[in-house]
Amino acid sequence: MSSTNYNLNIVTDEQKKTSTWPALRKLIDLLPDQKGRLYLALVIMIIYAILTMVAPIIVGSTINNYILNKTHQDYSGIIRNCGWLLLIFSLNLGAVYFRTILMGGFGQRLLFSLRNAIFNKLQELPVAFFSQNKAGDLISRVNNDTDKINQFFSQSLMQFISSLFIIGGAGIFLLVINWKLGLATLAPSVLMWVFAKFVSPWVKKKNAASLKSTGAMSGEIQESLGNFKVVLAFNRRDYFRQRFSEANTDNYTTSIGAGIANQVYTPVFGFFASMGQLVVLTYGIYLITIGQFTAGFLISFFMYVNNFYDPLRQMAALWANFQLAIASWDRISKILSMESDLVTLPDDSLAAVGATGDARAPALLEFRDVSFRYPDGKNVLFNNSFRMEKGKTYALVGPTGGGKTTTASLIARLYDPTEGKILLGGRDIRTYTPAERTKKIGFILQEPFLFTGTVKENILYGNEEYKDFSDEDLHTVLEQSGLETLLTRFDEGLATKIVSAGDGISLGQKQLIAFIRAVLRNPELLILDEATANIDTVTEKMLEEILRRLPETTTRVIIAHRLNTIENADEIFFVNGGEITRAGSLDQAVDMLLQGKRVS
Amino acid sequence: MSQKNQPTKQAGGAAAPPENAAGSGAVSAGPGGKRGNKPKGPSLFGLLKPYRGLVLLLIALSFVSNGINLWIPKIIAEGIDSFTGAKLDTHYIIWKFLAAAIGVFVFTWGTTFLQTYASERVARDLRTRLADRISRQNYTFLQKTNPSQLLTNLTSDVDSIKMFVSQAVVSIFSSIFVIIGASTLLLFIQWQLALAVIAIIPIIGITFYIVLKKVRALFKTSREIIDWLNKVINESILGAALIRVIHSQNLEYVKFLEANAKALGLGQRILQLFASLIPVIIFTANMATLTILALGGHFVITGHMSLGNFSAFNNYLTLLIFPILVIGFMSNVIAQASASYMRISGVLNAPDPVETGTITKDLRGKIELKDVTLSYGEKRVLSDISFTVAPGSKTAIIGPTAAGKTQLLYLLTALNHPDSGSIELDGHPLDNYKKEDFHRQVGFVFQDSIMFNMSIRENIAFSDTVTDESLARAIETAELKDFIDALPDGLNTVVSERGMSLSGGQKQRIMLARALAIQPRILLLDDFTARVDSQTEQKILANVRQNYPGITLLSVTQKIASIEDYEQIILLMESEMIASGTHSHLMATCPEYVQIYQSQRSTSHYEQHELQS
Repeated sequence: MSSTNYNLNIVTDEQKKTSTWPALRKLIDLLPDQKGRLYLALVIMIIYAILTMVAPIIVGSTINNYILNKTHQDYSGIIRNCGWLLLIFSLNLGAVYFRTILMGGFGQRLLFSLRNAIFNKLQELPVAFFSQNKAGDLISRVNNDTDKINQFFSQSLMQFISSLFIIGGAGIFLLVINWKLGLATLAPSVLMWVFAKFVSPWVKKKNAASLKSTGAMSGEIQESLGNFKVVLAFNRRDYFRQRFSEANTDNYTTSIGAGIANQVYTPVFGFFASMGQLVVLTYGIYLITIGQFTAGFLISFFMYVNNFYDPLRQMAALWANFQLAIASWDRISKILSMESDLVTLPDDSLAAVGATGDARAPALLEFRDVSFRYPDGKNVLFNNSFRMEKGKTYALVGPTGGGKTTTASLIARLYDPTEGKILLGGRDIRTYTPAERTKKIGFILQEPFLFTGTVKENILYGNEEYKDFSDEDLHTVLEQSGLETLLTRFDEGLATKIVSAGDGISLGQKQLIAFIRAVLRNPELLILDEATANIDTVTEKMLEEILRRLPETTTRVIIAHRLNTIENADEIFFVNGGEITRAGSLDQAVDMLLQGKRVS
Repeated sequence: MSQKNQPTKQAGGAAAPPENAAGSGAVSAGPGGKRGNKPKGPSLFGLLKPYRGLVLLLIALSFVSNGINLWIPKIIAEGIDSFTGAKLDTHYIIWKFLAAAIGVFVFTWGTTFLQTYASERVARDLRTRLADRISRQNYTFLQKTNPSQLLTNLTSDVDSIKMFVSQAVVSIFSSIFVIIGASTLLLFIQWQLALAVIAIIPIIGITFYIVLKKVRALFKTSREIIDWLNKVINESILGAALIRVIHSQNLEYVKFLEANAKALGLGQRILQLFASLIPVIIFTANMATLTILALGGHFVITGHMSLGNFSAFNNYLTLLIFPILVIGFMSNVIAQASASYMRISGVLNAPDPVETGTITKDLRGKIELKDVTLSYGEKRVLSDISFTVAPGSKTAIIGPTAAGKTQLLYLLTALNHPDSGSIELDGHPLDNYKKEDFHRQVGFVFQDSIMFNMSIRENIAFSDTVTDESLARAIETAELKDFIDALPDGLNTVVSERGMSLSGGQKQRIMLARALAIQPRILLLDDFTARVDSQTEQKILANVRQNYPGITLLSVTQKIASIEDYEQIILLMESEMIASGTHSHLMATCPEYVQIYQSQRSTSHYEQHELQS
């Protein structure tokens, strides 16, 4: 279960092949409510194409009837046809406007939904997903790859589809005016199609490689810059340069590959377009000489050839854009195809749980034969069973790497056990919805995380009860729970500014905020995972006092190295080498710590 | 006509050395000028100086291919006319046309190939220069500029410059070439009609200019919104565990939705502008077709123009419109690239920290601080700190959260510099030591776990001075031997980013081993004991004493029990040094210290118990 592979860079078989059109379909499926708009846009584009197509006919017939017709050259006829043209062009003006608004609007909405879908998916996925992927790579996927798709939608999509119609229309008119000459003119485009068909997979592959190396490079930069102080203190500026240089060179090579691949269409398409013109010129003139064609329509033909091949040529440039967008979409759809393995089970498993012959009333929390293994095969917990009762304080002690944090993570269901069951209030923890579960269980993580904002925003983060409280009301609440004094550690109290990535506040201060945040949520079970490790002992005494003042029914689970933080525990569990053992007293726990052979 | 003047001005600049004149001309985007702040910025074209040969070759190639392109309608016209003139030399025209087509193909391919090569090379070199520059900076610089901005510099900013090189440079020059070329050819064919057709250039140009000016402002806002969007995404990724513990996915989604909706609204506003722009352009171009038919038809009837040339006019019209649009779009690319280059230049031109140090001799380990003061913005972090640490002694720094303990250690590692006061090592100012030799002798164990995504061996032997022997000793001292031996891949086990697969204590010990592996004379520990259990801690400290004799130890800690035997204990509170002395001295004289002691007292007999074991 928890050995689900979430690594995006390990391609599974069924994800390997995504061809262009199904991928596009999937993309458009994101917007079911926008289909009407899309159809309207398509209709307008067809009107636009027809209007564009009619103009050369008028030009051609004007030349035939009024300019080349030596017997009755009629300038007023030209003017009349110019009037028709003006009408058509004016209608076209409107068509172009609505085409842009509708199609562009569709693109923008699609992008909006796509971003939402990705973000939603990211929120659904479990912690394991984030620990198996580099944050830099994920960020690159979500930001950079969405942006590539964005560029396609905002700049190319409309032109792309509109071009398709113009090409189709011009093709039809070429055939209608003179099917022989039309067929001959269109022949080079078949070669173009064949060429594109063969070359596109290669182009896409090159783009995928380039995007991947971009992701890797941004991951590299993220890591090196984040760890810059170590780089400095250990005199390894060259390390940064060297690691970066490798990523940079790799990115350079793959980008050149992708660049050349993307540029392959333009010259080839241009050449084929010229061939089309050549055919019209030679074959057209031949047809005129044998009397099957007129000079006026030859000029119309040239206009249609331009109408046919120019958009094709532009599409060549867009096509590369399109391939890039598809490659990006591939990377993003890999995220979208991930499924959380932490599903909420239906509540009917209640009966099965009760039938274990346990006469005691259900404990607040119970582990039954729980084992846990990380996806990389590392065993962390073996077959552990224990109970935690309401209102008591439990301490988890043991050497580093013994499995304390893993135990806490299982209680908070950041992972599911690989074997065994965890019961919360007598019910399988998996039957609780995340909302129910997180309301009951508070967990102060070892590595505190703060959001950019203020102290107030951070301590009220995700807090439904107090979210609309004014500063005064909040102060009252804080005072009642004894948290008020902790705020003095911040220069500007509640209003103190916080920058998430910044070093502006100390680790101890971050831990204080995480502590206040968790306590204010008033959970039934509060886990502190070395939550006060970097806080001085005097302040820590205050925290203990606050914990003591929590409602009588609150269960506390404390993981700590400093023994004074756990001396008031009702029960102590010794966690070592994957086994959770009950220690009778603090003395016994200390003995175990001293004698227990560290297996970690 | 103003818009028409602008390209010619740029072309004039291009004929001169392309670096300066053309650069500023293009950047300030033509007559009337946008804001007058651009000329101060570094020239984008100056960036291309080292690649002058490459760029000139690129422009030359594109001129050739565009030149041939301009020739093609003439060939067609010739064909039509020779037919109407009834002396058709089909073969000659076919060969001419074929030669032209192949020429265009070869030169276009050459241009695109060279474009890719040049732009990627510029991007790579720029990134290397940036990284090189960043790598030479000190910690203060990094804090000031903040890593996420540098990440943007190295990725998206470089990308927009890449776009400039790959698209704008060639496009602008070749577009101007085509516009001038096509206009000239038209003028030669039939000047009256030509003037009527050329009139569309300023109309399209001016409309474009007006709309793009508005769009550019929106683009700027849109960039800010994208930054905001990315920040929300980034924090939701980095804070993933917390979000799941609190079940605040919905909250994050609301934050995200707000930014995303803004992005949508802005995208639609930009779209509105384009929706009004594109029809105008197409309509204007169509009016040119109309003019050609009406006026050109008249000229053909009156015999002032041949039918072939009439057709050539239509063909040149298609050739003419595209470059006008390209110049418009490219002015956007250039604007974006110069904004990016401006940001990058800020980093590139940041002065290198000067290496003042000359002392290379080995440290004995005496540390002396005199009236050291440090502020962080308006906030005092350290005020008038003075103390001395004897070589080979053990000193502890103790004090409440946010007292300035970590900052003090940063000063001692030269990561930060004091605003005033002096720090001396063995009687010489810290700055007089050559950085390299200084860092080689000072080991620093950071409070926050910093792991690199590489093997444990590389994480520990991070400094390049580490030998196998010193590595082994460091591992043994940090009590990591059993742990590493138990791993299937041993020292070669790769640590994942942010060290997720390691426990807090394991990370802490790896960081200690990293610091010890350089065999330092001075060891700085920042709250090392926080995540390591007391038993291990005692063992490790005993190991340090045994394996690294004579080492000077300065330890920030919370636990009094383990520092009672230290030669000196310094008590920091709210940036000030409250007291210093031995444990017994402080117990007798310092009430704050006694308070801290009392807060730990109830369990101290256990800690004592451990000490003796």
